[in-house]
Amino acid sequence: MEEIEDQTLSAEETRARDAVRALPAAEPDPEFRARLRDEFVAGRFEPAAVRTLRLPWHRRPMTHWTLATAAAVTIVAGGLALNQGAAWHAISAHGAGTVIVDGRPVEFSADTDLDALFRPGTRIVMPDDADVTLRSGDAMLAVITPGSDVTVPSLPGRWFARTGIGEVRSGELRLSTGAGFRGATLGLQTPEARVLVTGTTLAVICEPTGTCLCVLEGVAHLGTDARSMETVTAGSRGYVFADGRPMAHAEMRPNEVPLLGTLRDTAREALKRR
Amino acid sequence: MSQEIRVTPSAAAPVSGTEDRGPEPPGSESPAPPRERPIALPREVLERVRERDPQALAALFDRYFGMVYGLAYRLMGGRAPAEDIAQEVFLKVHRAAHQLDPSRDPAAWLSAITTNACRDVWRSGAGRMARASHSLDQDPEGFALSASSEDPETLALRAERERLVQDALQRLPEALRVPIVLHDYQGLQHQEIAEQLGIHHAAARKRYSRAITALAALLRETLG
Repeated sequence: MEEIEDQTLSAEETRARDAVRALPAAEPDPEFRARLRDEFVAGRFEPAAVRTLRLPWHRRPMTHWTLATAAAVTIVAGGLALNQGAAWHAISAHGAGTVIVDGRPVEFSADTDLDALFRPGTRIVMPDDADVTLRSGDAMLAVITPGSDVTVPSLPGRWFARTGIGEVRSGELRLSTGAGFRGATLGLQTPEARVLVTGTTLAVICEPTGTCLCVLEGVAHLGTDARSMETVTAGSRGYVFADGRPMAHAEMRPNEVPLLGTLRDTAREALKRR
Repeated sequence: MSQEIRVTPSAAAPVSGTEDRGPEPPGSESPAPPRERPIALPREVLERVRERDPQALAALFDRYFGMVYGLAYRLMGGRAPAEDIAQEVFLKVHRAAHQLDPSRDPAAWLSAITTNACRDVWRSGAGRMARASHSLDQDPEGFALSASSEDPETLALRAERERLVQDALQRLPEALRVPIVLHDYQGLQHQEIAEQLGIHHAAARKRYSRAITALAALLRETLG
């Protein structure tokens, strides 16, 4: 019953089986046998017993693990680097004066290296008569208006960690998103409100009385915290009062319509995928 | 305090594997007899092995070293790797002596440790290196293995045949080499092989069947 195979072996298979059965017992080196016996009985194995099985460095598991870890770190670091959204690039600037960059005054002029100043996370206080338009790849176009106090938004990742954050303390930040922003979110904090951008053309206006969100296209969300977010639709505005009154909705401010319309048209051209 | 241990063949431990083999096929005039396993050590000796009693350890070594070395030799295909494996096995056995089940013949346990040690080497890639350098440590023992009073020509032919069979075994994929060596060289039953390899009985038989077919094809090339 057990050996059905043996009963059905062909002549060649039978010969092969018998050839293996006929192999003589392997005779070890007597010295080796005696040494191993002594070690086994005494329980003291020469390091060689372990060493002989040791592999060359490039075959050792530790080497493999080290290389695998280094490769993984490289891949992760490379992935994180590649994932970073395109840096902000100043595509136009008007006016002159002194811009405060992280508390440090810097001359704002045609000769200033604006790309070096407007980095994600940098706090910027614009001169009272100067503005700048920034572009991040094909994802976003942002206008920081004169006198505004903002933290330059961080950039959503290309494939993961697709959330950026920024801050508007005073003044106005206009924003229009492009194809590269699809699927990403941008959170903007003001003294009394939060704005959640998921792809739209809008303006965040920070005034002493509160925060106004004007939406030209798409929708955005406005609230005092994560639990109180309300949707602000195209053509309307939402207002969060600094004195705690309930949030209000109305048509968007008339003066913002042409400003945001211009930004949208510029964005459509500037954020085209190349 | 350890007392001297005398080990004599025990009628209670005849694990030869012969009951595993069915009728021989027609035409095989003098089929090779299956290899017999070492006679198991008495339970009391095995219990003292668990306590790492030196004399019991010596008895265990004397009884099973040949089996371990032979299995390693046939699986790895050379003296140097077989010595490496044997060292590894007895090191592991010493460390795990307390896990030995004195109610069972340790042959299966040792065989499993040996097979696993070989598989570890193959997996690690050291086996490939060993094969690459195999010709350098190819056994000069071909004659020594068969030392007898036979004439030199017979010895040479026998050694050459053994070399060809061993080479054919080495050319088999490791997954096929193991069941043939365990079954036909070591004398294990398919059920025991299945337990060692962690596969079903039917799968072990099927693997053996594929292996013997492959080995027959290889030997057809070399032996004609």
